[in-house]
Amino acid sequence: MNIYNILALVLLLIIIFLLRIRGHLTKAINSKFPENPDPDWIVDTFRPWYFHLNKIIGLITVTMISLVLLGGYGFWYSFKIGNQQGYQPDQPIKFSHQLHAGQYKMDCRYCHSVAEKSKNASIPSPGTCMNCHKYVQATAKYNGQISPEIKKIYTATGWDPDSQKYLYQPKDLKWVRIHNLPDLAYFNHSQHVKVGKVTCQTCHGQIQTMKVVQQFSTLQMGWCIECHRTTNVDVAGNKYYDEIHKRLKDGEKWTEEQNGGTECGKCHY
Amino acid sequence: MSNNQYWKGLEELNNSPEFLQRKSNEFMEGIPMNEAFKEETYELSSTRRDFLKYFGFTVSSAAILAACNKAPIRNVIPYTFKPADVVPGVANWYSSTCNACGAGCGTIVKVREGRPVKIEGNPDHKMNNGALCAVGHAELLSLYDKARYEGPLKGTESIAIADLDKEIIKTLDEVNAAGNGIVILSSSINSPSTLASIREFAKKYPTTKHVQYEEFSSYAIIAANEKSFGKAVIPGYRFDRAKVIVSFGADFLGTWISPVQFTHQYTAGRKAVNGMSRHIQFETNLSLTGSNADVRIPITPSQEGVYLLNLYNKIAASTGAPTLAAAAIEGPVNMVENTAKELLANKGKSLVVSGSNDIDVQLLVNAINSALGNVGSTIDLNNYSKQKMSNDAEMEQFVSDLNDGKIGAVIVYGANPSYNYYNAEKFKAGLKKAKLALSLATAHDETAMDCGYVMPDHHSFESWNDHEAMAGQYSLTQPTIHPIFNTRQAQESLLVWASVAKDYYSFIKENWATNVKDLNFNALVEKGFMDSASASVVEDIKPTTKDAVKIAAVISVAPAVEAKADLNTVAANLAKVDADNKGKLQVVLYKKVGVREGRLSNNPWLQELPDPISKVTWDNYVASSIVFASKNNLEDGNLVSLKAGNVATEIAFLRQPGQANNTVSIAVGYGRPRFDKEGVAAEVVGKNVYGMVTFANGSFSYTSYGASIEKAKGSYTLAQTQTHHTLEGRDHYRSTSLSKFTANPKTFQKQVEVISLWEDRDYRGHKWVMAVDLNACTGCGSCVVACNNENNVPVVGRDQVMRGREMHWMRIDRYFTFNEFTQDGSADRYRADFYKDLKVDSNNDGDANEKITEEAFENVSVGFQPMMCQHCGHAPCESVCPVLATTHSGEGLNQMTYNRCIGTKYCANNCPYKVRRFNWYRFNDNDNFDFHFNNDLGKMVINPDVTVRTRGVMEKCSFCIQRIQDAKLLAKRENRGMADGDVKTACQQTCPSGAIVFGDVNDVNSDVHKLFNNERSYHVLEDIGVQPSVKYMGKVRNTFDEKQNS
Repeated sequence: MNIYNILALVLLLIIIFLLRIRGHLTKAINSKFPENPDPDWIVDTFRPWYFHLNKIIGLITVTMISLVLLGGYGFWYSFKIGNQQGYQPDQPIKFSHQLHAGQYKMDCRYCHSVAEKSKNASIPSPGTCMNCHKYVQATAKYNGQISPEIKKIYTATGWDPDSQKYLYQPKDLKWVRIHNLPDLAYFNHSQHVKVGKVTCQTCHGQIQTMKVVQQFSTLQMGWCIECHRTTNVDVAGNKYYDEIHKRLKDGEKWTEEQNGGTECGKCHY
Repeated sequence: MSNNQYWKGLEELNNSPEFLQRKSNEFMEGIPMNEAFKEETYELSSTRRDFLKYFGFTVSSAAILAACNKAPIRNVIPYTFKPADVVPGVANWYSSTCNACGAGCGTIVKVREGRPVKIEGNPDHKMNNGALCAVGHAELLSLYDKARYEGPLKGTESIAIADLDKEIIKTLDEVNAAGNGIVILSSSINSPSTLASIREFAKKYPTTKHVQYEEFSSYAIIAANEKSFGKAVIPGYRFDRAKVIVSFGADFLGTWISPVQFTHQYTAGRKAVNGMSRHIQFETNLSLTGSNADVRIPITPSQEGVYLLNLYNKIAASTGAPTLAAAAIEGPVNMVENTAKELLANKGKSLVVSGSNDIDVQLLVNAINSALGNVGSTIDLNNYSKQKMSNDAEMEQFVSDLNDGKIGAVIVYGANPSYNYYNAEKFKAGLKKAKLALSLATAHDETAMDCGYVMPDHHSFESWNDHEAMAGQYSLTQPTIHPIFNTRQAQESLLVWASVAKDYYSFIKENWATNVKDLNFNALVEKGFMDSASASVVEDIKPTTKDAVKIAAVISVAPAVEAKADLNTVAANLAKVDADNKGKLQVVLYKKVGVREGRLSNNPWLQELPDPISKVTWDNYVASSIVFASKNNLEDGNLVSLKAGNVATEIAFLRQPGQANNTVSIAVGYGRPRFDKEGVAAEVVGKNVYGMVTFANGSFSYTSYGASIEKAKGSYTLAQTQTHHTLEGRDHYRSTSLSKFTANPKTFQKQVEVISLWEDRDYRGHKWVMAVDLNACTGCGSCVVACNNENNVPVVGRDQVMRGREMHWMRIDRYFTFNEFTQDGSADRYRADFYKDLKVDSNNDGDANEKITEEAFENVSVGFQPMMCQHCGHAPCESVCPVLATTHSGEGLNQMTYNRCIGTKYCANNCPYKVRRFNWYRFNDNDNFDFHFNNDLGKMVINPDVTVRTRGVMEKCSFCIQRIQDAKLLAKRENRGMADGDVKTACQQTCPSGAIVFGDVNDVNSDVHKLFNNERSYHVLEDIGVQPSVKYMGKVRNTFDEKQNS
């Protein structure tokens, strides 16, 4: 709901208010001069097609239609609450995935190193950046100066580029979190990346083309479930699944759902 | 079928009207809307106009809320340089040692992103074999305690550490120069390096004396062993080697010396029903140990000596030793005779222990064990215990010296005499005379408040330390968190004041390097412990004050007990105790399984852990026999004024079945304040009765004679959990005697025909189930605390417990039954004898209850049954949930989805096991529940993998689904199938008796699969056909049967 909707609502309220005042005034005039009644504007205007019907039926119809419309809007709207698809906040360093992952083809796991071990993919520590950026300073782009963005890494780690030493007090880098799963849902990267062999792009989009990262998926439960319903479990070569698959014996096709992947307790505990 | 009729408590037995009303109403009160609104400052007692106002407000605020559909900006801050061994989201485990009591159990600490979130027993450690007690678990929460000191204090003002050091060293120098004594007053210390640091301190200040003081001392054992065997030690007890265990008031499964170790040993001899040991307990108050005994004989405290004398005489008569003068006493059903017979039949395979702190009693116990040849087999004087090292006589001497002004400086380390010394006023007065009084306390305590300086110690989770809990068994404590506050490790403080410029870590390392050959210290830290066998320890890395006697190789022959003349004095003393106190009211002081001595009394997990016997939380009380209560016209919920020793207070009263007739018992460890979220002392929990302790015959006595207990004005309701759920006369808990079980091993099975409306589910993958061995379960409650920790179970407080709203996912149901006489009594001679002794009116043919006289209530047997969600195959909760918030998984789990739950409570109403708990409030960040969930420090204990529930949702045991998922994922990642034991629930992991086994029943090689097919296994309420996933294994008591008795 934006400001115009609110404005429209306010104006509508004002109209109703004014109409009511007008009605009261008309009534007052009519009672004072009963011999020469002032015509009721609303009644005269709407009577031909509205008050022609039974008053009650008409009222009910109008109410019902408005309720359905309002409810429909609410229903549609409620699906959008908390959905941050497309969320693309400014970050403290203008880090470009397009440059690193796209152009230079760095493996995602170089920086997001624990995605195969942990529930978190983890934001790399500035120390990881320093592995390269001690030397890579993009001076060519900035007339021989160190890139201001790379300088921010130096500030964060306390690096002194002149003496090539960590001289200063490190400062925390506060990245803005883009993918916010509610606390009530448990998600584990290692299950999907290592075990399920899901590519990063499946959920995060063509990250290697994004200069500024934005949320690609809705991250809503329907989106999770949809994938779990349609994705086959890759049982080949995993001894855990070999055994469980043998026990379950559900033919060749075996979706994540058939493995219990849509049960509440898999994510909510 | 089992034969015993069980009841949960007196109210159920008597079917009081209050009970009948309560049992028909699980949620005792309606929805507390008024209360709820008042708390959040909405007044609901409002007019129509107010309603419209609020309505308008709500509508407009909803519109505004809808208008800003932006989640708040959340930041992620990575490590600047990620430590190599930290993976965000994955826990690290560090081996360490539990410091909650002196028992020295090995632990592993789960650390997530630098904060410890769980403590578990180290499965490789000999002492505890992977288990921990309730207190050990709860110690973790004390790390995040608001009562902790945040920095050094001078008086009440904070002071810089450097300034404090200067002032302390100056004063110590002065005191030392003047030749006045310096005393380091500590609790038991068995840490070699700590003792070394004290020696370093004493090097600089030669007038230093180290006094070890325990508020609940076992000094009598040490003193008696010195006299009997020439060795001033507590021996290593071997309950696993004993076929017959006779305990006189020693609560070795609950609170005595090393409960986890003893529980492990004890249950080792009892899980396999064939050849199980027999346990006979003589005691006054119904202890955890007594409630597990096969035969329990209630005695008054003054009679303990007389019973022992008679037992000794019977044994001496058989072995040909001269008997002692004693008044003859037999006890019910020739109990002394029978016990003596049992013991004599198991020479060298029996064990007699006493919990008494009377040296005479312990001398007699030594004489009995010696005569039975138990010394050297079940009593190990070589691998002796160093878990309790206190010396009562030295403490007495110290307090009197202090009052005489002989002592110039007192450094208090881990002791709290201002609270728990029986004559606290005398101690306090003496402390004022000392030039320097300094406390090394971690958290606020009474003694520290009386001290001029406080140099707070690190919490044990922030410390380095070493331990030698049993001679030759070493283990290490390593820090698992960076120090939270401006504190310094106590040993390091001592070293600083002794002008030794070393941090304690280097000091320990050097101490070990000099004393142990070829030491790899880092490997030792990783492993956490060292047995003397596994490395060549240089002789004596730890000379202690009591180690005067060098230990001989092996005692193969029972050493001679001291001269008989001495035993005659003992006999005379003990006879006198009984004669002097016969008519007086006899009070036993005891420790509760949770709060114990009261050192961790500000720990909400322990305070809310129901007492295993009385099921009371958040209080101590006078537990009285039913006879005493009716004689004095007292009822549950009365306040009584108690006067004894240095105690004069008003305290709650409770009738306790099992309490010996005409006696009462009171728990120590209470009467200390709780600290609120600002770290300020708030309300006091229970009453302090340490003033009833006396110093007699060279040791502290925890029996009080001649106390006066009178009804006082007013009433006080105790927060009990026991009455919240009821049996309705069903046989949840099944038990039988060994002879009956041998005759009919299928006795626990019930043939039921169940008609099911539902189709059976098909579990082909995993099927998670649990087996609980009631024969092993001792009811100690450590599973309850472990579950609280693992699953972020909120603490609700006394008031809410009274309303039946405790949140524990796991409860231990405690059932009473009269000893084998309410049913088909007459044929069995043993029972017939009991029948007679209990003064039951046998002419009355009415129902069983009417036959019971008040005297009978001291003779009860107790059963413990851990009860948690049974994860039914046809779960009644699932079919009534209107919003599908509780559903079934393909692996047999009954899942609870909090964010779907709308709180209708239909599921709880429909649950036959009453295991579902409803969140009546939001317990986190709520000032009305000022426990650890209410402040940032306390919240550090929260398990990050489990949701913190909010108001209005149902919750229950999940079978630790987070652990199941974790173990499955690990197997998948490591490309292997699941092995039995990969998943351990929190309760199973910590159980000292191994009573709980969890696993995949579809795996035919799993332990749980075997246990499910065990003949003792049964489902609770199998006749309602809900197909639970939990099976219980019936309790078998090794009682005397007819043949043995005749």
